[in-house]
Amino acid sequence: MIRIENLVKSFGAFNAVDDISFSVPQGAFLVLVGPSGCGKSTMLRMLAGLETPSGGTVFFGDRIVSEGNRGWTIDPAQRDTGLVFQSYALWPHMSVAGNVDWPLKVAGMAKPERQARVAEVLGMLGIAPLATRYPNEISGGQQQRVAIARMIAPRPSILLFDEPLSNLDAKLRVEMRTELLRVHRATGATSVYVTHDQVEAMTMASHVAVLNQGRVEQFGTPEQLVQSPRTAFVATFVGTPPANLIPVSALPPERAANLPAEASAMYRPEELSVSAAPVDGSLAFDFAEASPVAGRTMLTGTRNNLRITAVVDAAPRFAIGDVVHFVVPPAPAVLFGPKGELLS
Amino acid sequence: MSLVSTRGAARSLRIDGKLVLKLIVLAILGVLVAAPLLRILFETLSPDAIIAWSDVTSGRLARNLLWVPLGNTLILGVGVACGCVLIGGFLAWLVVMTDVPFRRTIGLMATLPFMIPSFATALAWGSLFRNSRVGGQTGFLEGLGLSVPDWLSWGMVPTLIVLIAHYYSLAFTVIAAALATVNSDLVEAAQMAGAKRGRILMGIVLPVALPAVVAGASLTFAGAVSNFAAPALLGLPVRMQTMATRLYGLIEVGQTARGYVIAILLIAVSALFLWLGNKVISGRRSYATITGKGGRAKRFTLGKARLPLFALAALICLATTIVPVLILIASSLAPSSSALFSNWTLHYWTGASNPSIAQGQAGIFSNPFIVSATGLTMSLGVAVAITTTLIGLIVAFVLARDGKGPLAGIINQVSFLPLLVPGIAFGAAYIALFGAPIGPFPALYGTFALLLIAGTAYLLPFSVQTGRAVIQQVSGDLDESARMTGAGFLRRLAAITVPLASRGLAAGGLIVFVKIMRDLSLVVLLFTPTMPVLSVLAYRYASEGFTQFANAITVVILVISIAATLLANQLQAKSQPWLKS
Repeated sequence: MIRIENLVKSFGAFNAVDDISFSVPQGAFLVLVGPSGCGKSTMLRMLAGLETPSGGTVFFGDRIVSEGNRGWTIDPAQRDTGLVFQSYALWPHMSVAGNVDWPLKVAGMAKPERQARVAEVLGMLGIAPLATRYPNEISGGQQQRVAIARMIAPRPSILLFDEPLSNLDAKLRVEMRTELLRVHRATGATSVYVTHDQVEAMTMASHVAVLNQGRVEQFGTPEQLVQSPRTAFVATFVGTPPANLIPVSALPPERAANLPAEASAMYRPEELSVSAAPVDGSLAFDFAEASPVAGRTMLTGTRNNLRITAVVDAAPRFAIGDVVHFVVPPAPAVLFGPKGELLS
Repeated sequence: MSLVSTRGAARSLRIDGKLVLKLIVLAILGVLVAAPLLRILFETLSPDAIIAWSDVTSGRLARNLLWVPLGNTLILGVGVACGCVLIGGFLAWLVVMTDVPFRRTIGLMATLPFMIPSFATALAWGSLFRNSRVGGQTGFLEGLGLSVPDWLSWGMVPTLIVLIAHYYSLAFTVIAAALATVNSDLVEAAQMAGAKRGRILMGIVLPVALPAVVAGASLTFAGAVSNFAAPALLGLPVRMQTMATRLYGLIEVGQTARGYVIAILLIAVSALFLWLGNKVISGRRSYATITGKGGRAKRFTLGKARLPLFALAALICLATTIVPVLILIASSLAPSSSALFSNWTLHYWTGASNPSIAQGQAGIFSNPFIVSATGLTMSLGVAVAITTTLIGLIVAFVLARDGKGPLAGIINQVSFLPLLVPGIAFGAAYIALFGAPIGPFPALYGTFALLLIAGTAYLLPFSVQTGRAVIQQVSGDLDESARMTGAGFLRRLAAITVPLASRGLAAGGLIVFVKIMRDLSLVVLLFTPTMPVLSVLAYRYASEGFTQFANAITVVILVISIAATLLANQLQAKSQPWLKS
């Protein structure tokens, strides 16, 4: 179990992590997701013990591992955590087996046990044939597997991942996602995974913390985030495609009638329909793009800095230059205030 | 059909064009680099000279001719390599990996000593530590009433110290660059594994930086064994010979065959160690640097050791940069180097001839010989900068356009050959080749042309590297994207290539200029009174005991070199990745 209370990390006057609290149970797969600079990597590094918090407390189980108010933190190696770096950080002068072996050696494990454990994790990740190769002799995906093998070899009870898939190509990324979840389940450890890719967050997580400007915008399961976003930021950040947010002032008058003028209305893409001609409750946009998605069509229009996406069963063929009329349902799914706060 | 055949013809024509260019380049390199080296070898193999080999290696004089100087040379090489790696590595570690204060300043200072010629440092050492053993003026410390022991004043110890003070910045540059590529993730990954500081240093940082340490060691070794100035100024007066000084002495007294043999052996020693170093590095395939994203700089906290270590670093940097320069300036103004800071006079700079001072030698600016030598040295620097940059660019161009095949391989190897050849041996080779008329061509000895082509050949590896960097920067995507716009060759040359390349080329040219300005070892054998070069004049003055004049000339060289270096840095906005925070 990981519990975080009022965690703060400041660099000078800037709070990279600003009063964050949440907890996840043993065996959870927690994803910290947010745009770059939101403080998610700093969070992870504090969990790893590489940074000392400026305030707040981190518990692993019942044990306090970092206490910001006292400027105190347990050494990275004593926290029973493992970390996969974004750059993988494989030691270039050691072979694949050497990379996995070294942390065990540092931990003082006897040689026969080490050899058995190295063979076991290399086998588990399907890289046993690469054992004698050097990091610069294997592909990016293989390096990734070595980094994971190195992390799990000492059997840490908390696995930390810092954007581990961002250096891989799209197809490999999907494969490694599955692989990572398999490792997570096989080890029974609690995982914390940092990414800026909400798709990764939504597909892998048991718990998601959406971070923005050092604060948690929302903490919950992927379903909760999509079903009931608590802020406008979350609403437009998660989901594939994310929900549409339209200022009430830009809505057609017949739809804006009963809504507060300053607010923004959220509509899910699947609640919209499209039409080639204006109809009741429709908004005119310039056609931007269309793509087939699992037997349906995803259509995007833009106008005046607004962007709207609908997923429909069938749509007329549009071309660039056409005007598309997006029909919004009588009532918005959610209503947000001018500062992005939840209204209804 | 006709289209195909025209294309075929065009291609064969183009290949011919390439071939011709390659052959021309090869011919130039042959004359500049290969011919002198082959000539010096054949010179020693001729029937009446071949006995020099046995004289030198096993004859009655072999001990003095070869073995003792070889021993001294190796002691210097190993000692300097160890000292440079220790000091350079220490400073690099401090600057790149720790939170020592004033990292940038230390980083900059540590690169400076290499810009100060080694004879300047050696002269400064003499002004401070000289004792009365060989007569003449004593140094500042004796002037203060301290007694300086012989071992600190002359011979191996001061030579070692001066060479380390000169070459450590080479090791620093190489090691710092390598340490900067050690992603801080690598260190943090080791921290996660539970390794303590010492273990991280020994288990991760050092092994990753090892290739650079080896490279630093072999470069500084090669530099030390080929250095002429320091052992000549500090060792020769007490008859400590190295191979470089022995070679110089033999050629000066006309025993050229023996000199050439020593030159060949010196090349062999220097090249052997450079080759060994290279082999150690390239043998470890695992050592290719891995660059990754991230690279958040996290520094070792030095804690209590922070200030003491800073003080140590500052002391090293000051003692090897500011201090020698200040001593040189002071000593060029003081009538007696035992009282460096009293009775200052401008006599040695501007004074007219006065029989009561320095045997009537006029100040350097009143001495028409020295003034003309200044002009000559500067024109030599400019001329070499231009020719070597041009040839370097052509070589780089040929290699970039078609770097495959045996011809390109030979061009590549030959153009980097001078790196392996100590300057003084190169000078000897040039005397061997151009000292006498060749067919219709007159002997070049004592002409500007000889200095020019020797300098050009000597600095070729450097200019080829500059050329490569420039071409790499310009060719490829940039040129192709200009081609996509439909711009013709000349248009692209004027709009893309020249603007992008000119800074790099100018900076490279300026560095070549500086290298020529402060070079002693190459020109010391090619020097003739008709072609006086400043560095040799300084050396001659120093060995004749006119230290003030020597130091004044050295200051002139320093000023010109530093100005040109600063200009070059300005031009290329020199990238020092390890200084980025």
